[in-house]
Amino acid sequence: MRNSGLFNDHVKRLLGCLAGGVVLALMVGNQEGVQRDFGYAFRAAIFSPRLVVFLGFGLALFVAITYWSRISPYFVRPGARPLAAGAAAVVASYGLLHWTDSNQVTGGKLGALSSAVSGTDGISSFTRTFFGSVVPGTPWLLLVVVVALGVVSLVLRLPVLAWLAAGLGLLVGVWGYIAQSAVSDYLKTADHSTGAQVAILGYAAIASGCFVIARSQTDQADTVGFIERVFGWRPGFPLAVLGTAVGLVALLTATWFSPADRNPHLSGMTNLFSGEGLSAISSAYLSWLVWVIFVVALALAFAATYLSRQAFSWASIVIGLGAVVLTLTTMHEFSSIGGKSGFDGANGPWQNIGAGPWMLCGAFTMFAGAGWIALRQGRRVDPAAPTVVAKAGSNLNQVLIIVVLAGALFYPPTATQFWQTVIVAEIGIYVLLAIGLNVVVGWAGLLDLGFIAFYAIGSYTTAYLTGTLPIKPPDWLHLTPLAAIPFAIVICLLAGLALGAPTLRLRGDYLAIVTLGFGEIIRIVAVNADKVTNGPKGAFGIPQPVIHLGPIHIQWGQSALQFWYLLLVLIGVTVLLFNRLEHSRLGRAWAAIREDEVAAQATGINTTRVKLLAFAIGASTSGVAGVFFASQIGYINPDNFLLNNSILVVAYVVFGGMGSLPGAIAGAATLTWLPEFLKDQVPAEDRQMWIGAVILLMMIFRPAGLIPAKRRAAELSGFDGVKSAETVAVPAGEGM
Amino acid sequence: MTAVTSTAPEPTATNPEVVYDVKDVTLRFGGVTSLNKVSLQMHRGEILAVIGPNGAGKTSLFNSLTGVYTPQEGSIMLAARKGDELTSILHDPRFYGARKSTATHLINRHGVARTFQNIRLFPALTALENIKVGVETRQKSGPVSAMLGMPWQRREERESTERAYELLRFVGLTARANDLAGALAYGEQRRLEIARALGTEPGVILLDEPAAGTNPAEKRELAELIRRINVEDNVSVLLIEHDMKLVMSIAHRLVVLNFGEKIAEGKPADIQRNPAVIAAYLGTTNDEPEAATTAQPEPNTTDLDSGPAAEGDES
Repeated sequence: MRNSGLFNDHVKRLLGCLAGGVVLALMVGNQEGVQRDFGYAFRAAIFSPRLVVFLGFGLALFVAITYWSRISPYFVRPGARPLAAGAAAVVASYGLLHWTDSNQVTGGKLGALSSAVSGTDGISSFTRTFFGSVVPGTPWLLLVVVVALGVVSLVLRLPVLAWLAAGLGLLVGVWGYIAQSAVSDYLKTADHSTGAQVAILGYAAIASGCFVIARSQTDQADTVGFIERVFGWRPGFPLAVLGTAVGLVALLTATWFSPADRNPHLSGMTNLFSGEGLSAISSAYLSWLVWVIFVVALALAFAATYLSRQAFSWASIVIGLGAVVLTLTTMHEFSSIGGKSGFDGANGPWQNIGAGPWMLCGAFTMFAGAGWIALRQGRRVDPAAPTVVAKAGSNLNQVLIIVVLAGALFYPPTATQFWQTVIVAEIGIYVLLAIGLNVVVGWAGLLDLGFIAFYAIGSYTTAYLTGTLPIKPPDWLHLTPLAAIPFAIVICLLAGLALGAPTLRLRGDYLAIVTLGFGEIIRIVAVNADKVTNGPKGAFGIPQPVIHLGPIHIQWGQSALQFWYLLLVLIGVTVLLFNRLEHSRLGRAWAAIREDEVAAQATGINTTRVKLLAFAIGASTSGVAGVFFASQIGYINPDNFLLNNSILVVAYVVFGGMGSLPGAIAGAATLTWLPEFLKDQVPAEDRQMWIGAVILLMMIFRPAGLIPAKRRAAELSGFDGVKSAETVAVPAGEGM
Repeated sequence: MTAVTSTAPEPTATNPEVVYDVKDVTLRFGGVTSLNKVSLQMHRGEILAVIGPNGAGKTSLFNSLTGVYTPQEGSIMLAARKGDELTSILHDPRFYGARKSTATHLINRHGVARTFQNIRLFPALTALENIKVGVETRQKSGPVSAMLGMPWQRREERESTERAYELLRFVGLTARANDLAGALAYGEQRRLEIARALGTEPGVILLDEPAAGTNPAEKRELAELIRRINVEDNVSVLLIEHDMKLVMSIAHRLVVLNFGEKIAEGKPADIQRNPAVIAAYLGTTNDEPEAATTAQPEPNTTDLDSGPAAEGDES
């Protein structure tokens, strides 16, 4: 065979791409056939006409790879990537996300909503036109037009066209948003859908991309430099901008209260509550005070970040947090009134509240956060390094921390019941577990496949201490779940030491096998020790947490939200403590033994002690998660603690980025969110396959994880590309 | 075959204090004798070089001195820092870890620091952090105080950063403080490894072929650095090196090993003229029957992971 190498490569690639298309054709859609006829699905996919579409994908991919050298120069031009990202976001919102929660629309996605809306006469034609009453498929058509305009202007360098695309993109985004809120007003249901929000964000990204295309004529986008300039220009400024946007949406278009058949915006609230006995301050808040506070907080945030004066920063923090408190009290008040009236079966405060006030709380938090960042920035001096300070790329990080915090505090109340449960019972708990395992696997580099055992120990400890196991604790040790936390920590710590001490002389694979065995032993003991653990039946009726502290009485149990805030406190404290730990002596010692154990030993590190500490600290975190789990769910049995769960936690940590605290959180959150999200998208039995595909793609294209650890990134990518912004040394005078 | 046993004292001292007193140390790996009744004394404040052809047992000797290997016979006495009492590292509980064998990290804590023939830094930590790891093995604050950010922990953290910057300045790497250790040039990595070792406040530093793979200019700088470590920091230096020019220019005394046995000891000038040394390096026609028959080349002991004794000694 004397094929030229090039030809050969092309043929192989073409075959590979087409085969990929066939695989995709098999994956999309319902699984067909029965277990005895595995070939049925394959034949169905092969003989189905839709195969042509997927082969087309394969061909397109082949062309893209083969002619990548011709495409890529355009792709790195300024504005191309925001354009692509925005287009992807809009496609996702059109194809995957819900546009309404109303059960009058099956599935709630854009397609179903469009056909429902365009045939409904009661909705304004402005709205109906967007959903395709005139031209079917209008949303998609608009997207194609906008993106095509953007691409043409990018390739041909036509600023006029780019301006046009930017303007059109914004218009379409706003149109879609308004149309969707008009529809949800018409349907009169509490709306938790995110489709329109994501779409408008996507269009905003497209518009900003087109804006950049119109303005910049260079050949090579400097994305990193751009982000640095934006976030370094006035620390906290982007946060103030974001807060303004969120706040305006909350004040102008979001629903504030959703009892029965009304969904008033802020402007309708005064009307709704006039004469209902709202206190003076709350009615003032709803009619005009909120605008005054918003403008003041906004002005202070901008002043603080722009002028970086300490006084403004402090004022911004105080006003921002004060505004959050005021908003919350007002919400409490008007929702209590709503509760008394018994709308929608409401029986107390905090029910039927719309997204508006929560979003406003988020906006005020961001203003306060902007002030905080400005304040920190003014103070940053590293006394120990008089000549050189590391210019951390921390402005962006701080902004992200504030945004995530605001989201964690104020997003869950606006989610549906289903998602609230998922956020607590899946996402939150596994985030805590992943944070714990990250200590062992990520920082100390010890592969632990039996991590769930400590979670089980924490859960059973709670069950014992609350008196729900066959063996009862002595009376003086009969505790509430929250009081059990210290005990669970200590017991898991001891269990961690007990597992660690004999096994730590093992390395790598051997250690993994032993820990795997340990996990199974704990589970099997839980199954078989009937007299102690109640065997496979498990422990019932574990009480829910309570706090009785003088005048404070808090009883958990009414809703998932309550548990979420408890969990948020636990996660927050853990993250805070572990973040310090990572950058302490012990954190460096862990990195050292992970990198080179012999050298670490020769440098005087007691490797046994350091490894044991990793095991103990990781285990106790897991124990806390166990306490929370047991008291939230109220019922545990050995089936909650399978080997599968251990492996999943390892996968979360690896997926997020081993050794990176934000990575572990992001990894666990993503991979626990994904199966629940996929429930709407693919048949139930296909879910694991799609998750597998996501993990596979991730490991191929981003092996260091979602948010790679700085210390780990170097190991995986080699040392050539690591002179990132994080490690650039600048003179102290410029280190701001 | 004790050809020359010159016990010339260090030039300045009249009655030298002993740092390492090694007597009749024998180290075997199965049937292979890596060190055969090696004895030597190291004096405080001197630069003692160990030379010998490849496979002579130099690194085995280093590993025995630092507790990585435990010799089967003989004794090793250590008094690393000034004022320490001479103590056996082989049979003293002070050097035992959790298990009943000499623990490397305890030897380090008693004032012996070392570098490795194949550089063993922590590549994913920055240069500064590498040194801080060394400095911090002398600190006390634990995980709880770190998590709570206690004042004493913060003070220790500050001290370790300051000390690490001092050491970076000492080896001339200040500009690269925040670069990852793995991204440094070869010569810089060598110097960083020395700085990390110095961070543990040693009384003795063992340098295993510090000049390997460096160019002549770097060699000159390195010789200067070793002298400064010796004079300014008052650290005794035990050096393995193949580069004769470097060794002869900085060492106060030399010990020559061949096939696991000490064949000579003395001042550089004496060693250069020593017939046994010349024979070992250049080969002889049919002399040295003893060495040729009894001792065989040792297994690869440069990589600590693959040595048979290393397997059992990790903890």
